[in-house]
Amino acid sequence: MSNLDGVFRSEWGPAVAAIARWSGDLDIAEDAVQEAFADALRTWPRDGMPERPGAWLVRAARNRALDRMRRESGRTERERTAAYEDGVARMERTDVYPVRDDELRMMFTCAHPALEPASQLALTLRLISGLTVAEIARALLQSEAAVGQRITRAKSKVRGANIPLRVPPADRLAERLPHVLACIYSVFTEGYWSTAGPSAIRDDLCDEGVRLAGELCMLMPDSPDAQALTALVLLHDSRRATRVDACGALVPLDEQDRSRWNRIRIEQGLARLRNAQGAAGAYLPQAVIAAVHATAPRWEETDWTLICRAYDRLIAIADSPMGRANRAVAIGFRDGFPAGLRALDDIGDEARLARSPTVAAIRADLLRRMGRRDEAAQWYRTALGLGGSAPAQAFIRRRLAECLG
Amino acid sequence: MHYFALLLGPEPSGEPDAAAAAQIMAAYQDFHTAAGSAIRAGDALGPAADAVRITGGPATPTVTDGPFAEGAEVAGGYYVFEADNLDDALEIARQIPACAHGGVEVWPMVGWEAPTRQVRNDWLALLLEPPEKVCTPTTEQWESGVCAHTAFGEAAGEHILAGAPLHPPSMATTVRVRDGKAIFTDGPYAEGSEVANGFYLLRAADRDEAVALASMIPASAVELHQLTGISEL
Repeated sequence: MSNLDGVFRSEWGPAVAAIARWSGDLDIAEDAVQEAFADALRTWPRDGMPERPGAWLVRAARNRALDRMRRESGRTERERTAAYEDGVARMERTDVYPVRDDELRMMFTCAHPALEPASQLALTLRLISGLTVAEIARALLQSEAAVGQRITRAKSKVRGANIPLRVPPADRLAERLPHVLACIYSVFTEGYWSTAGPSAIRDDLCDEGVRLAGELCMLMPDSPDAQALTALVLLHDSRRATRVDACGALVPLDEQDRSRWNRIRIEQGLARLRNAQGAAGAYLPQAVIAAVHATAPRWEETDWTLICRAYDRLIAIADSPMGRANRAVAIGFRDGFPAGLRALDDIGDEARLARSPTVAAIRADLLRRMGRRDEAAQWYRTALGLGGSAPAQAFIRRRLAECLG
Repeated sequence: MHYFALLLGPEPSGEPDAAAAAQIMAAYQDFHTAAGSAIRAGDALGPAADAVRITGGPATPTVTDGPFAEGAEVAGGYYVFEADNLDDALEIARQIPACAHGGVEVWPMVGWEAPTRQVRNDWLALLLEPPEKVCTPTTEQWESGVCAHTAFGEAAGEHILAGAPLHPPSMATTVRVRDGKAIFTDGPYAEGSEVANGFYLLRAADRDEAVALASMIPASAVELHQLTGISEL
């Protein structure tokens, strides 16, 4: 039964969401679906996969949940029977197959702003994506105990503080949606930007981020911001295979083999981008920047004017020193590197910039491209002294060697 | 379900002028009009400098008069809301004027019985614990705490107008409003050494009696504030 994994991956989230809605409890839902999957693993290879595996899993999980609620009600036999019958009655009123709304509800609950962002991420990976605690711990480079505790605490807050399992009312949607978008984006970026850990896990997270973004578009077809987010992750993801070389070293955009970029991802991303008109958030300009790169046949043909304009828009929506530093690079390519350097100077002596290895490396890179190799080397050294991930440091060391050589 | 909202903020420096005070009053009256049906109790607290802090527990209480550490946020008021869920509670909490310059902690309460007598210039005893000492409902530790509070209840009798334990700090949410935008954070207002863990509304003939009553409360620390009685809720 080779496609069991695929079925599990696609049915886990909807099943947990359906049982959560029905039982009103995330813990019960998670455990019941886990048990239903174990049941499936036992019986499907023997009896064959049911025609509608999702419906089978939800029904099995519901029976498991019902058993548990009956067992744990901690009441007299008569009350237990009443609780059981109430459960049965509720079950009969509910569709057997989960409705899509359940999943959307689940996304909003997992990404609830009353939960810490790190908890939102862990809860999403567990309850919607179906990763095990061990898998999440490996993917996020945290201990299993820490991840387990985080998820338990988040679930108990949902229960104890009574965070509702629902899509927020229309007048709060604009405020709550960014949390869902940010949570999905962090699933993707944890995989895409995380440079540590085995690459298979990073690939899983990238895939899952792309999948969740696509799901959200399906669940909220009228949200241009969901489209923009999806465009962004697809366009980034099109370069997944080329951004590191065989040794795991980072490959900068201008040295990547464009023939190996994933054309399907690019086409999908551009299609999403066309539907993203009117998006208010920061994902749209970022997706535009990613799209300009993705569609440039060669590095030399990059449309820097368009990229600068997108950075202007990005900074207008969400000003950040890092955004301005990246815009300085784009200005450097549009107007010449001295102009880029001036733009970098214009950001001022923001303390966060002074501490950022990325910004020091950006300055070094502009100087290197201008041929001011000694100064470049100095800034590369500064960048190294400020820390950063091992692959980023390795890349800077390579550049430093080039400047000295 | 019931939620306890604790209003925190920087200690106002000096007496606000009459116009500013009237403006604050008006803002709170607007809030009461808007959220009235969900508010079960609430009032502004007297100046933090007049508060009393009691540590050491009922056996060896140490009483310290305010003012306390400068620069720390101080409790300026409280509310009890009844709301269907946390979203509804946060929807109310974000409208509290205190969100705009300080923050409001929203704690799910473990039960609530409304006071049967009108609460006026009475006393709020805020029970504080170091986070690691907070226990979770239904644990053994919790049950022994319940016994200690039952004993306090018997000893204090009619002096207790109302009171409730709060859920652990991992279930609290803090609301701040900055530039008109609500910002929610998981957990209490500050990463402090102590968190709120319950409260009593106490009636006492005078300050000394209130301190004597609060000294009997089983808690790591008790912060005693006089209610201003201005909310008339």
